[in-house]
Formats: sequence, structure tokens, C-alpha cells
Amino acid sequence: MTDLRVNGRPVQVDAPDDEPLLWVLRDDLALPGTRYGCGAGYCGSCTVLLDGTAVRSCQTPLSVAAGREVRTVDAAPAPRSVAAHVRDALLEHQVPQCGWCMSGWQMQLTATLEATPDVDDTTLIAGLDANLCRCGTYARLRRAATDAARRVRAGADEDAT
Amino acid sequence: MSPRLTRRGFLIGTAAVGAGVWVGWRFGVPAGRLAIARVLDGASPPGGIDAPPDAWIEVGEGGVTLYLAKVEMGQGIHTALAQIAAEELEWPLARLAVRSAPTDRGLNDRNGTGASASVSGSWGPLREAAALTREMLRAAAADAWGVDVAGVVADQGRLLHRDRPDEALAYEDVAGRLDPDAVPDELPPFKAKGAYREIGRARPRVDLADKLAGTGGYGLDARMEGMRYGAVARPPRLGARLTAAAAGGAREVPGVTDVVLEDGFAGVVATRRSAAEKGVAALDLTWEGPETPVTQEAVEAATTVRGDDDPGAGVVVQREGDPTRDLRRRTDVRAEFRTAMAAHAHLEPQAALVHVTDGGVEAYVATQSPTLVRDLLAEATGLERDAVSVTATWLGGGFGRRLNVEVATDAARLSRAAGVPVHVAWTREEEFRHGYLRPPVHNVLEARLEDGRVAAWRHRQASGDVAFPFLPAAAQPLLGADFGAWRGATSPYGGMARRATVAERVELPVPTGWWRGLGLLPNVFATESFLDELAAAAGADPLAFRLAHLNEEEDDVQRRLAAVLRAAAEAADWDAPLPEGRGRGVAASVDVGTCVAQVTEASFVDGAPVLHRVVVAVDPGVVVNPDGVRQQVEGSVAWGVSSLLHEEVRIEDGRVGPANFDTYAFARASDVPDVEVVILEGDDVPHGMGEPPLGPVAASIANAVVAAGGPRARHLPARWT
Ligand code: FES
Ligand code: FES
Repeated sequence: MTDLRVNGRPVQVDAPDDEPLLWVLRDDLALPGTRYGCGAGYCGSCTVLLDGTAVRSCQTPLSVAAGREVRTVDAAPAPRSVAAHVRDALLEHQVPQCGWCMSGWQMQLTATLEATPDVDDTTLIAGLDANLCRCGTYARLRRAATDAARRVRAGADEDAT
Repeated sequence: MSPRLTRRGFLIGTAAVGAGVWVGWRFGVPAGRLAIARVLDGASPPGGIDAPPDAWIEVGEGGVTLYLAKVEMGQGIHTALAQIAAEELEWPLARLAVRSAPTDRGLNDRNGTGASASVSGSWGPLREAAALTREMLRAAAADAWGVDVAGVVADQGRLLHRDRPDEALAYEDVAGRLDPDAVPDELPPFKAKGAYREIGRARPRVDLADKLAGTGGYGLDARMEGMRYGAVARPPRLGARLTAAAAGGAREVPGVTDVVLEDGFAGVVATRRSAAEKGVAALDLTWEGPETPVTQEAVEAATTVRGDDDPGAGVVVQREGDPTRDLRRRTDVRAEFRTAMAAHAHLEPQAALVHVTDGGVEAYVATQSPTLVRDLLAEATGLERDAVSVTATWLGGGFGRRLNVEVATDAARLSRAAGVPVHVAWTREEEFRHGYLRPPVHNVLEARLEDGRVAAWRHRQASGDVAFPFLPAAAQPLLGADFGAWRGATSPYGGMARRATVAERVELPVPTGWWRGLGLLPNVFATESFLDELAAAAGADPLAFRLAHLNEEEDDVQRRLAAVLRAAAEAADWDAPLPEGRGRGVAASVDVGTCVAQVTEASFVDGAPVLHRVVVAVDPGVVVNPDGVRQQVEGSVAWGVSSLLHEEVRIEDGRVGPANFDTYAFARASDVPDVEVVILEGDDVPHGMGEPPLGPVAASIANAVVAAGGPRARHLPARWT
């Protein structure tokens, strides 16, 4: 049995140590939000946050996640959180087509904006080359990403005053 | 169920359901495909009265639900069809529940979801079913009130009467009074365009909030109590056959519960996916053949237009006058283009959850063709079709790959042997190596110019199969040439004095088939690149040259094509001077009745194009959802850019070379430009949107590169040197 925390809750998993976290989440814990695209670290669809850092869960053995906090898209983000701004921006710009890649983008953008809320648009947009979207939603992704960053900055200003 | 034909020949069926009714329609079969459909299904002519309806509008105490046989694969079809239904139903879109229809509810769609035909094929019958449902609701309210139906108004889910201002009835209130046998004889008139509340509005997609929340609605997400996971052995080379199989060490792999060895098939069932895959790796398998391994060289050599040596080669798919005689006397310009094989690379692999019992089959499958999968499962299990229920899940991309899915039969074989529900998902490597590919294409174009105009035009193209592998052999002579291979190859320019298009079939030892747009992208890349070469030879502006060859008075298509060309050029400031080193390129095409023109502004830096501006003008007929139209244009531009810059499958070591995204590149964010979309709304009917904008993308960019001083691209993907 391996103990870890997923979206704020403690869970116990009976799976081999080398089982990729991706399949532990999807098949053992029935959390379908984290997606398989390549199983080899190339596409980013399976991105989750491990103690706040974006990792590719297809390349993360369960043993590495043991005792740590995993965040996925399956739990609704807290209102006004970075994750909520990211999701809202993706929805408002109607970014997804098939939607399969979108969990990866959500977690990747959330990690970036949590770590560097004042990231400039050029850096943010350059970072979009890390993941793949076969439907080709990239133009809308750029708009949604910069918009989410604006919301995060505006939220931070609000909190400061 | 009481079925009947409406005036326009669509089958309407009704049935009682709890406290309410279902009203269903059958998709119209487009005339061009009628013959194919007949061949495919000799048993019942399409649209026959005995055929059950394809989709249902259910009105009950819980409100209105739309069950759709058309599959949501990212193209927004559930949203567009919900808008169309909500419009005539007078029911608020936000409260219309949209569900994927299981096949055992009499919901069948022999065409599958593809060919950009879902909106155009559903437009008439869906509005009829919705309008008839609304009329039945009005009649039920009149009955409840004891008044004449003429005074009852349906308005956004409520039934109103002038004399009863305080007694509005909700649709749910009268659901119990609906009489499935009381379908009005006369089809009510459709709403006037000016009164539309839904059609033509940029409504948000009905599925996106759930998709962003990670709810499980895709094929890979399907779950059932007691399910296990399966994996299947695949041949190590193209053309290899399994000639002997034994369990080897598979049963000793922890988690493996069943080893299934049947004729030509070897698979493993386990308690987790990784165990099933390890089990397959531990099987003891003997593969034989082929005698001659497939090579890239052989594929390329075969994909060659033979017409020069063999004038009778191929099938003439377009001919006006006899350009060949003219060209024999003098050919002014000749050019060749080639397109590589490519993969679909839909990001969610094919996946199916299937439970086979003695009594029947329950299946949840990521497929564009639930009806076809139902038939395949019936065949594989020996059960009646009626005993097989297939529900299409959301698809993480389709692109033609999921018109035929193998994974459901894999899962069915394993489930039958193991006696439990089995989920099979292909790995990325299986997707690359064991699917079918976009075929390679070779285009040869020749023209003769007189007084700055095209006097003779001949386009010969050789292509691997697209539709033929999936049609019964009897359909092939009926069709002559593979309609998928020559899609987009004919010339829409009526102003060319003599023109001909010839399609040559190339039979390859590599499986090829449906791919987004079929032949559209390769063929238009060739024809519209060549047209720019002719304009250059004639010393003409490429835009003016195209317009000069469109006879706008002759037919509507040429008029609309000229209109999108002008609209794209105007929005892109075609005549405005450009800085040194930049150029503009234009290209246009017609596909499934939708006219598209693209103007690209590019420069050519360090051996690669830089895209500064892309403008696309599109006339898709009636626009159901303008934001949906924009999404499809944006996605198509990304696909076209991707094919021009990157996509190529080569055969290596007798098998498909790439196995994952490290060896198969497709467009990333920085490759794909923003797109300005100009929508010219035609006012007749909706045509398709999923593929047509793919037509001009590669040629428009290639032409811009030449205008910017770069080399002419002759291949997809381009080799710019
Ligand atoms: S599935 Fe993990 S990176 Fe693609
Ligand atoms: S939306 Fe389909 S892969 Fe990105």
C-alpha cells in the first residue's frame, strides 16, 4: 500500500511501485481528468502538480509520488485561485476542440502562474511549445493564457490593497 | 413505434416513453452517396420505411433531451445540432440536454460522423422533427385548455394563450398528454430567418465546461463494475501473420487473469493495463511474412503518375473539351508535386469498453461510426445486431481514423473469453504502427496559355487508396475512381477553355485510408500552387488571374468562390505595398459546397517561412454557430501548416517508422499563426465546415513564400532547398 494525497485528500493505493502515477490516478482512483497522449513524456497531456511543481505523470512512478501532494483537474479549483482563473479563461475563450489535451494545459499554466504570477506574455507564450494539441487550438490558447495571467495579476493587486 | 414518411421523404417515428414521447428522424442520405449506401447495405434501401429513426427528441417530465447519433469529436457538432433543435422546438438551449445515442434505441447512422456532413445532413430532418414536436406540444396544451390550437403559442419552453395570461403551461406539464400517434399531417412552416434566436449565434459549446472539469466522457474513461484491462499482440512488420502462439510466460505475470489465443489473434486480460502489456510481451509468438518486406522506396516508386507512358491509365473524373490534344501540340508549363504519408495522431488513442454476455453486448467506444461498430461486434460475437448496444463516447480527436476502429472487436474477443467487461486502449505506438495512414500522392499538372489565359489544363494524380479499403469490392467499379483520393482535385475554374482531371489508383502494401479532408489538402496544394506558376508565366497578378478564370454568371459556386477570394484579399489589404522580403500568397477551393479563400503574408528566413498574417474568408452557406465556424477554420489552418512544415511517415525496417511524437512531428504553438476569419453567409442551406478550410492552407503559404523571394514548395512536407 502506498499513501499519498490527491486533491487534498489522503488516499491509499495498492499498485506496483513502478506503476506510472497517470494510471494510478485514472484506473486505481477513477479520476479521469488526467490524460494519456503518448506515455513517453512528449505531449504533456498527463501533466499534474506534484507538491506544486508540474510533472508528467506518465513518467512519474508511484514510488516518487508516495507521501506527496498531487493536484489534478478533477477537483474544482477554489474560487479566485490561479487554477480557477486558468480554467475560466480557457472556457471564456472557448479554447478546447476535442478537449483531450486541455487538462495538461490547465495544470501547466497553473504551475507557471503560481510560481511566477508576474511572468511576461512573451515568456508565457514561449512556454506553450512544451505541450501538444492536435486540434490546433494554439491561437486561442495564447489568448487564454495571457488573459489568465492578467486575471492572476489583477487578483494579486486586489489582495494587496 | 409508429413510423411514417413526411412530405419530404424523411422518416419520422414516435413512441411513448413514460410520461412523454420521443420524436425521431432519420438522416437524409445525400444523393451522391446513395449508390454506395445501397451497395453497403443490400438489405434495406436507405430511408426505407422499415428503418428505425436515427435520433430522438424526448419530451418528458424532466424536460427535453436530444439523443444524437452524430459523434462529438471536437468539431462542436452537439452544440450546432442542439442550436438547430432548440430553434424550432422553442426550447431554451441552456436547458436542452444533449446525449450520445446508444444504437439499441433504434438510433442508427450508417454514414457515421465524417465528411463534414453532420450539419448539412441533419439540417432538414432535425428541424422537421423539432417543429413537429413543438406542434404536438401546442396541440396538447390546446387539449388541456379545451381551446383551438391556433391560439396557443410556444415560447422558450412555455405554452401560452392570450386569454389565459396567468395559466402558462411548461412543456413538462403537458408531456403526459402527448399522443405518439397524433403527429400532425402537415409539416408546419419553419421559422423565418429573422426570427432566429439560436441559429447564427455564437453560442458557447455545450460540452466544454465538463471537458475542462475533467469529467469522464471519453472512450478511455469508460468504466464498469468488475472491469479488467486488455492488450493485444501486434505484428512486428507490415504484412506479417501470426502463425503460432503459446502463452509463454504470460500467465506468470502478476495481475494477468486470462490469455486468449484464437486463430490469428493473441491477447491478454489483466487487473491493470501495465500487467496486460507485460503479459503480451511474455507471449510466445511466431510471425511469418511477407516475402518481400515493404520499403519506403517501393512505396514512392509505386506512387507515380503513369499517364505519360500509358495514356489510358486512370479514370477521367472531370473533362471539358480535350486539353490533351492541345497540350500535345504545346505545353507551356508543367509541374509536379508530391505529398508524403501522414498519421492522424489524434491525442486520445482508440479505446473501448465492451461487456459480452450470452444475452448481448454492451459497449462504450470512441468511434465515429457506432452503427458500423455494432455490426462488427454482432459479427464477432455471433449475436443479433439488436442484441448489441454501442454508445459512442466523446472522442479525443477523430480526423477520419475512428470511422473504422479495431479496438472494439479486440475488447469483445477478450471480454467473451474472460467473462468480464474488458477495456482496451491502444498505446501511442500501436496508433502509429498499426492504424492506416494518409496515402502518398503524386500530382502532375500541365497547361497551355493563350493571350494570358489558360487554354488547356490537365491534372493527373496518383494516390494510394482512401475510401476503397472500406467499401465492398462491388462498389469499386460503380464508383470508378476512389472519391476520397480525388477529392479537391477537379478544377472549379470554368473560365479555363479546356480542362481535365484524371485519377490513377495506386495499390500499396501499406494500409491507407480516411484522413481529415481526404485528398483535399494534397490536391489543392498542387492545383493552387500550379495556378500561381501559370499566373507568373502569364505575367498576371495571382488574385486577378484567378478571378479572370471564374465565370461568375455561369454558376453559383463560381460566384461564391470569387466572392470569398475578393473578401479575403480585401481584408488582407492585397494591394497594399509590403516591406522588402515579404510576400502575399492566395489560394482557394470548394469542398462539400463550402467556398474558402486564404491570403497569407509571409517572409522566408533561414530556410523557413515566417507567417506574419493569415486571413481566411469562408462561405459555408447558412451559419449555425459563427464561433464554431471560426474554431474549424483555426484548426484547419493548424493542420495545413503542420502538413506543410512537418508531417511525414516513412517506412523503416519493413514497418511504419515513427512510434511516438519524438519521431513524428506535428505543429506546436509557435508554428501556428493567429487567423483572421471573414464569414460570408450564404442564405440557402448549411454546407460543411470540418474539412473545407484545409484546402487552400498549404498552397496559400507556399505561394506567399515564392512572393517573398523563397523557393517553390513541391512537397508536403516542404523541402525548401
Ligand atoms: S502522456 Fe505523459 S507526456 Fe504524453
Ligand atoms: S483540443 Fe484536441 S488535442 Fe487539444
